[in-house]
Amino acid sequence: MAFNSHRDFFEKLEKEGELACVKKEVDWDGEAGAIGRKTYENQGPAILFEKIKDYPEGYKISNGTTGTWNRVALSMEMAKHAPVREIYKEYETRVDVTIPPRILKKSQAPCKENIMLGDEVNLYEFPMPMIHQGDGGRYAGTWDVVINKDPETGWTNWGMYRFMIHTKNWLTGWPQTTSQFAFIMNKSYLPYNKPMPVAIVLGADPLSHVIATAGIKPYENEADHVGGLRREAVELVKCETSDLMVPAHAEIVIEGECMPDRIAPDGPFGEYPGYRSGTMCAGVAVKVKAITYRTKPIVTMIALGTPPDDSSIAASLTAAVAMKKGLLRHGVPITDVYVPPEGVTHLIVIGVTKGGIETTRKVLDYFTLRRIMTNKHIVVDADVDVFNMAEVLHCFATRCHPGRGILYEWYEGRSNSLTPFYSPEERRKLKGCSVAFDSTWPPEWEKEIVPVKSSFKTIYSKEMIDKVNSNWDSYGIKL
Amino acid sequence: MKEWQTFLRRFSDMREGKRELFIKDLTPGKAKYDTKHVIGQVAKTKGILKNPDILWLAGESGERVKEPWYISIEQVLEEDWVAGKPWEDVLEAVEKSEKARGFK
Repeated sequence: MAFNSHRDFFEKLEKEGELACVKKEVDWDGEAGAIGRKTYENQGPAILFEKIKDYPEGYKISNGTTGTWNRVALSMEMAKHAPVREIYKEYETRVDVTIPPRILKKSQAPCKENIMLGDEVNLYEFPMPMIHQGDGGRYAGTWDVVINKDPETGWTNWGMYRFMIHTKNWLTGWPQTTSQFAFIMNKSYLPYNKPMPVAIVLGADPLSHVIATAGIKPYENEADHVGGLRREAVELVKCETSDLMVPAHAEIVIEGECMPDRIAPDGPFGEYPGYRSGTMCAGVAVKVKAITYRTKPIVTMIALGTPPDDSSIAASLTAAVAMKKGLLRHGVPITDVYVPPEGVTHLIVIGVTKGGIETTRKVLDYFTLRRIMTNKHIVVDADVDVFNMAEVLHCFATRCHPGRGILYEWYEGRSNSLTPFYSPEERRKLKGCSVAFDSTWPPEWEKEIVPVKSSFKTIYSKEMIDKVNSNWDSYGIKL
Repeated sequence: MKEWQTFLRRFSDMREGKRELFIKDLTPGKAKYDTKHVIGQVAKTKGILKNPDILWLAGESGERVKEPWYISIEQVLEEDWVAGKPWEDVLEAVEKSEKARGFK
């Protein structure tokens, strides 16, 4: 059975030795974030901070829900040590299946155990963390699911966007201007000067958060796809102040309205590329109208930064599968796509059955067609395991011709302003550049002139490989 | 003396005199980092201000100036926001508002 809630999943993590429960009092002001960051950087467990300075007994902060491949595998009810390739394959199979959500009554929904409405709303009643010292404020939304809806079509978007506490009843946030959140706001609310209902969900079941990072196409509901991913409908309940439907088992649901005519400062924030790189004061303002929450709520956090963390791991999975499908639709002969978490969706590895500069051009065309979150693309032949970065690096170093194998393209209005190497002016104009490295053998080369890779698997005959393998123990060499 | 913090693109964007600012309250406790939208006199030294508070300046990457500035808050504005459309630059919107108020 799929995990219904954040709590169910954390019980599983505890049983699997993947959770550390911190009993010692921890300060929400930097300390929880610093512990989370150090833990990520040492591939450590998920964390549940059980005693938070300034807050009542039972109020908790969690970090690192699916911050390793082992925990992603567990969230999908796979074997804990499932290889990344298998996790990708399983996700790819499941994510195309749609299972509509099941709607619960308010009385059945744990997220309605406590309700703050109107003037009662006070975000400071929750231990929202100051994640990094020097951030612009306390970030309530990091490992969140942000929900908004197109009133004309009924399409409901789930995304993962940062949201910071501005005052006790205002949040400011920064969904990128190229996001689906912005698309709906710009299409259906801004032209009519209407506020847009928004729900910011903390602590839903783990796969609802994973799907929020996915590039599900516009006009398709993530809530249907998470059903496929979970192999079971996700349970939703209606908001108190709008018709938005939210995960019923969530820890905290912040209901509000994104204002069409009011703004306030957001950021800066140590973001997913691993830097605090100057994107601030260019987002949206949300007036909070209600907060519903479970008794003894858990605030979910990602102490975002250098990889790996929940963001770089989840995006590695969801972005790669979306890109693979997109590239196939674009006519690129794909074997597989890998988004190494270390490359924070800036670096993509694409395996192709037929290489060459034309294929590489097609790859670059695909990645620069619409909004552009990536910028370096390594195209490799089918004999290279895209999941093995040692093989990819060897291939790139030895097959990419520096003179004719590098293609690049500039653009404006579509780039990723969080990319650290862009200048402040480039970030403001969303001006960027993408490059593709053709690391494949030219298809026009005759077979007999293509260099043969000198590896055990490729330079010896099958007979020799079989002989050496079957005699291996007798050589007395331990590997 | 209370401590506040405000964010700027560049430290050099700050100037002395009457200013409209979003400032964050650094008083320890549950509501630390709460934002106030204020009008106040800002100066590099506290000597010329009446009842000054400390004002830390932070740049767009979160770095703080070494030495704090000072602020004497004259008015806490009711609006927690400034007029503008989503994704517009808040600091430019504040500058526009300052001009509309006749600040130099």
